This record gives sequence, C-alpha cells and structure tokens, in this order.
Amino acid sequence: MHKIVPSLVMAAVSVALTGCMKSEQQDAKVTINKNPYPSTYQVLPSQKTIIQNATVLVGNGERLENTDVLFMDGKIVQVGQGLPTDGATVVDGSEKWVTPGVIDVHSHLGVYPSPSVESHADGNEMTSPNTSEVWAEHSVWPQDPGFQTARAGGVTTLQLLPGSANLFGGRGVTLKNVPSHTMQGMKFPEAPYGLKMACGENPKRVYGSRKEAPGTRMGNMAGYRMAWAEATEYKRAWEKYEADYAAGKNPQAPTRDIELDTLKGVLDGDILIHNHCYKAEEMAMMIDLGKEFNYHSGTFHHAIEGYKIADMLAENGNCAAMWPDWWGFKMEAYDMVEENVAIVDAVKNSCAVVHSDSGTTIQRLNQEAGKIMYRANDNGFDLKEEDAIVWITSNAAKSLGIDDKTGSLVKGKAADVVLWNTNPFSVYAQADQVFVDGAKVYDRYDEKYQAQSDFMLGQE
Amino acid sequence: MKLFKSSLIALALAGTTAANAASLAITNAKVHTATSAGVLENATVVIDNGVITAINPESVAADQTIDAQGKVLTPGFIASMNQLGLVEVSAVASSRDASDKKADITFDASLAFNPKSTAIPLTRKGGITRSVVAPRGGDDMFKGQTFVADMSGDFDSVMAANGAVVVELGAESKGSRAMALQKLSNKLEDAEKALAKAKKDDKDDKKDVKRDAQVINALLAGEKPLIAHVDRATDILAVLAMKERFGLNLVLAGAADSVLVMDEIAKANVPVVMSAMRNLPGSFDSLHTNLANAGKLSKAGIKVIITVDGDTHNTHLLRFTVGNAVANGMDYDAALASVTANVADVFGLDSGKIEVGKAADIVLWSADPFELSTKAKQLWISGEAQVLESRQDKLRDRYTTDSDMPRAYIK
Repeated sequence: MHKIVPSLVMAAVSVALTGCMKSEQQDAKVTINKNPYPSTYQVLPSQKTIIQNATVLVGNGERLENTDVLFMDGKIVQVGQGLPTDGATVVDGSEKWVTPGVIDVHSHLGVYPSPSVESHADGNEMTSPNTSEVWAEHSVWPQDPGFQTARAGGVTTLQLLPGSANLFGGRGVTLKNVPSHTMQGMKFPEAPYGLKMACGENPKRVYGSRKEAPGTRMGNMAGYRMAWAEATEYKRAWEKYEADYAAGKNPQAPTRDIELDTLKGVLDGDILIHNHCYKAEEMAMMIDLGKEFNYHSGTFHHAIEGYKIADMLAENGNCAAMWPDWWGFKMEAYDMVEENVAIVDAVKNSCAVVHSDSGTTIQRLNQEAGKIMYRANDNGFDLKEEDAIVWITSNAAKSLGIDDKTGSLVKGKAADVVLWNTNPFSVYAQADQVFVDGAKVYDRYDEKYQAQSDFMLGQE
Repeated sequence: MKLFKSSLIALALAGTTAANAASLAITNAKVHTATSAGVLENATVVIDNGVITAINPESVAADQTIDAQGKVLTPGFIASMNQLGLVEVSAVASSRDASDKKADITFDASLAFNPKSTAIPLTRKGGITRSVVAPRGGDDMFKGQTFVADMSGDFDSVMAANGAVVVELGAESKGSRAMALQKLSNKLEDAEKALAKAKKDDKDDKKDVKRDAQVINALLAGEKPLIAHVDRATDILAVLAMKERFGLNLVLAGAADSVLVMDEIAKANVPVVMSAMRNLPGSFDSLHTNLANAGKLSKAGIKVIITVDGDTHNTHLLRFTVGNAVANGMDYDAALASVTANVADVFGLDSGKIEVGKAADIVLWSADPFELSTKAKQLWISGEAQVLESRQDKLRDRYTTDSDMPRAYIK
C-alpha cells in the first residue's frame, strides 16, 4: 500500500503538465491517500540465529521433532535437521518447543491501556451508532505496559480494535508487538485495515437506552443496511468520477466523506470486516448482509455460538475468533461450550481462531488454546499440538489478511518466533525468547531484552 | 452421569434418600492431604457418613471400593470471594442478587442463594466443592457478610451464613480514601467505648444492642473476620494498624501492592486473598502486581488464598490460575493449600484437608489438578458422589450429534 502515494503524486503532476494539451481542459485528478499515517516500523537489531534440536510446531499443521529453525535478515531461512550453524547465534532448543509468534486478532491494548483511568478510555467512540470515521490507531498509547506483558507471552502481532458499542465502531489497526514511542513505529507494514462491526446487545443497549436508534436487533440490521446502501452510492459516485476522468472529461469529484471512505474501503475489498457477534442467528444474517451489499462478512469475533453454525462459517469462508470458556456475562454469552473452537475447526476449509479481548489472557493464548484442545479430546476429538497452534498463529494471520507474511515457520515468511520452555499447551509453559522479524525482543533470562514502558519507569 | 460406574450411580441414587449410608474406600491413590502429612503414595482413604474416617487403615472394610490406579486425590477446592449462586447472567439485573444499593454491614446474601444456577455444575467440574460467597456493590463501605455454600446443587447447599464482614477501602472516584479509613476506625473506636461503658455500667442487656452494632462488636471480639478490599500499600498498612489497635481478625483481599509490605503483613499474621493472574497496573493503587507475587507472599510466610479475578462464571478456572502461580514460582504444596487448607483455616471450614474427621469433600483427578490436560474424574461432596456434567456439555452434545431432525429434538 505504501507504493500508492508516490505513484499518485506522479500521476497528479503529469496531469498538471499535460492537461493543457488535451482537447478538454481537466483539473488535477482528486485522489484519496489510503495510507496517510504510514508505518515507520524498523526491525530491531538482529543477527542470523539458529535454534537447534527443538520440537517445532510449524503453524501449518506440521510438527517436527529434533529440528532446527534458521532465520536471517528477518526471514525464516530453513527449518530442518542438522542445519549448518556458520555465522549464526546458536540457541539450544533441546527439550524446548518452537512455534510461530502468537497473533491476537482482538486486543484493546493501547486504546484501553493500563492504568485504566478515565483519561485513558480511548477505545470506543460511543457517540453515534456509526463511527466508521474513527480509526483505533489514533487512540493508541504505545506506552501501555500491557504490550510488554503480552510480548512475554509470545505475542508478536496484534490487532487493536475499537469497542463494540456501535454498529460500526471504526477501523482497527494491526501492530507488531515491538516497543516504540509512536503508533507508527509499531504499525505492521502493509497489513490491511479492519472495520469493527458489532451485533446484538451492545449497540441496542447503548443507543436504545438513550432513546436513539438502534433499540432492537431489527434496529441493528436496519442501521447496517442503511449505511451500506449509502456507501454503495458513494462508491458508485467515485467510480463514475474516475471513469469520466479516464475518458478525458473534467468531472467534479464527489465530496470527501471520511466515514464513507471506510465503508467504501470494505466494498473495494481493501478493508476486512471484524464483527463482534455472539449468536448463531445473528451471524447467519450478517453473512447474508455481506452478500446483499457485495462485501465479505469477514471474521466473527467472540462467536460464542459458532459451534451451532460451523458448516455455514466454513462454506462462506468466515473466520471465527473465540474464547475457550468465557460466558454468562450477558444473555448472548449464555450458550458457551468449551469445545466451541474445536467444533468450528473440525469442518473442512474452516478458520477457527482463539482471541483474547483481554490484557490478561493475551499473555497466555497458548494456554487458552490448550484448554480447548484438551476439553475437546476429553469428548471425542483427536487434536494434537500441531493443530491447536494454528488457532493462535496462521488462522489468526489469515483473519487479519497477513498470512502471506507471518503466522507459520516456512521459508520466506517473517521470522516471528517463540521459544517455549516446554510444551506450550502446559499450564507451566513460558516463553523463554521471542523474536519479531528475526530480532530478539524478549528474553525471560536476560533483562537486556525486557522492555519497560515509560509509565512504569521509576515507579516505586 | 455417563462418567460413572454403575455402582456409583447406585450410590448416588441411594444418597438422595439416605445420605451417605454407604461407606467408600478409595484405594491406591496419590493423596495430597493439604496437611503436614504431605503427599501419600498408594494410599487408601475411607469415607463414611459424609466424613473421612480413615487414612491407610490396616484393613479396609467399606461398602464400596474404588481403585484410583495411582491417580491424584485432593481435598475439594474451595473458591472464595465470588458470587456463585447469586448471579445467573451478569448483565441481566433481575438475575443478580449479590448486591443492593442499601446493603450494609448486616446484609446476608445467602437468603438469595440459588443452588440451581447453571454456573454451579461447571464450577464443580473444576474440582470445586465449596465456595465462600461474598456480597459486593452497594453504596456503603461495608458490603455485607460472606456465606459458605457447597457446590452440590442441592437446596440445602448453604452451610453457614453471616460469616466474615466485607469492607471496601482505597481509591475513590469521588472524594478521598481517607474518609472511609477514618469512618472505619471511628466506628470501631466508638463501639469499643460503648462496650467499655456498658461493662462499667454492668449492663448485660444485649437486646438493646442494634444489629449493626452486634456485628461490629463481633469484629472487636475477633469472632468474625474482617475482609478488607485494599490494594495500595499505604491502605494495607492502615488496616494492619487497625488490626493491632482493635484486635481484629483481619483478612486482606485484592492486596495488589502487598509485595511492598509483605514483611509487615507476615509479622501481623494476616492472610491475603488474591488473584494469581493480576499483573497489569490497573490503577495507581496497583503498580506492583506481578505473576510472581503469590509465590513471594507465600515464601514470606503469609497464608495466601488464591481466587479467580473478575466474573463469577469463570470460577471453574481456579485450578489453572493456581497452576500459573506455580509456574511463576509458588511452591506446589503452598499453591494447593491456597485453594484448600488455607481457605478452611481462615474461614473456619471443616473441609479442605484429607484428614480423619474432615468432611469428605474430595476429588479424584486424571493427573496433576493444575494442568490444562487434567480433568476431575470423580468428585464427592460430604461423601456424596457428584454428577460431573453441565449445561455446556448438553449443548455440545446436541450440536455434535448427527440427526435428520432439528437440533431441538436432541436432548
């Protein structure tokens, strides 16, 4: 996406220079910068590294014993046995396990940071049911100490989402979990934006209690449909402008609308839907809603009742991001089953993800996945560690549209790597070392690699 | 039910009318006693009439025998400071009974306890046999009093009401934390003076003492524990000073920054009820939370009780939070005691230990109870075998069973 900016500038300049030679006088073409807050992320200092003789969960369903993982210049070079060590920092992985970096598709770190004081409550613009115009990245406090604790739990990538009070909560942003004093310094280069939507109880409660729409679930649906209808018109207006301009005419550009830019981004396929939605009947309608307005209904978050529609999710290419066992806090979270993720996962072409939505459990997504695997195996499933790791790595990457870049330990992908002291699905498991793009960002036994936020510095 | 052997089903059925008529011997178990006896390998535990009657007797004479095949047997875990049986769905106001705006020091939420809450069978599956349930919320700094309930789901689950007094201190969104500390101190001081005056006047007429004053007097007499929710170290020191001054039976709850003053807490012999998973600086009162704190406090000689932070529905996860405390440095036996013997000691319960004479609240595990892969295989409350199936299991089975008919027909 970062390439768009210079090429568009060129186009605008060339139009300005050549415009006078054309038969119809054209004004400079109006274009929209899709990446106005670009990533400034830089890989931390790194060196060629080899982890030897570990149990490796590749993240693509494979498990390799006594295996080496070699990475250099930010990428996985090779995964195999007896790899050459020349010039590499050697890490002993015997008795240890290696997995891809953990990815959380649903976090509010930075936007609802610690300490959770009023001045920090920047995660939900609860002023209108449609706030597609807000971007979570504009609320991120990079000094949230939660980024450090999540890193100690092996989290290398995370999507920060706005809250769920609104039908359209605004854009989410995907970050690399590296310390930085700016949001842009953490921003995952070329990761697509997400759009947070929310079904069910939250929007109708928040706005209904103010005697505003929506006050019911049918009001929720009406709100989405009206917004998509408007976005469809907006998209059409821009397409007409671009077609007319390309035809040498001098049309007037549509009036820029920041809210509709985001919805249009979804209709254009640039922005992925991340939909807070618990219940089977609501997810089924949200899938149809996407078909009605020609966009993909994306990932369902929380999806407490995903297990009731596992077939439908897979058929329609929807990921579902779920907790293992949270429930009972609302009516729409009443029908929890501990095997939800496993049931969703069991269908062909499924995309089951384990998410946290919590500054606490993000630190142990490995354990969250483990609980699901074991409860499912108690009840007739035959899941292995190499299956469960997919829920917090490659499937999560798929949900975020970055599975071509990270989420599995295959050659050429980012060297986002966690070295665990034992089987990561044990309650006693801890991340010993964490790497982002091949650079060590955390070491449990070396304070030099334990970052501390500005906020915690000097607190006695 | 499907998990039970036929003999156990018979036992469970018999138990409904003539409770605990049959004696049971569990043989060949790895028994974590949660007492100074430590861990007993290949041990036999005999239970009869709801209590543990023998450990490793010379000869076993029981109506039923279960071979544990070397598996782990522990006391039933005791959850604490939750709202089990007082809430069905947290966001549904009409299903919540743990708090009342007008609740005061006399508030007894046990009257509202619902043993049929769907949270209880799930909690039981987590190896929890009893809970110390605490009121929360309301305008007063006193939230009311705790009660003890077993997790059998029976209508006679409430075992003891009007237990410890719960008081909330510390950071205020409006006003100063000093006010509540001062009020508590003044209340205790006034009550002490009134008692002294009554003694001097030789008044022995207790009928004149108001209900709330009776509770304060019980605190002054050390008959009732005072559970103080405090986080900041200065607040902890303030209530320790009150304990010293008034002879309180003090228990600290939350105690986020207790690690800063753990020597003082240990010296005062005050137990701490805490979450083992709290490690984010949620407020300026809790800048020193850390996953290692439960272990550190325990090593400092403090009696630690581990609870599940947050929503009551998550209480079933208690054993995993204890496992995480061990992963972060807590001694294994101390960790086990934090959800068994320590809770029993602090709240005066007759369970929490595998010891002759204690209530037969026990759990047979497939392996290490704190490990994610382990499950509770069998569980007894007061000697009665319990069903280890929850509503969640029924939902799972409904949606994983093949049928041509709508799911609604699968029951």
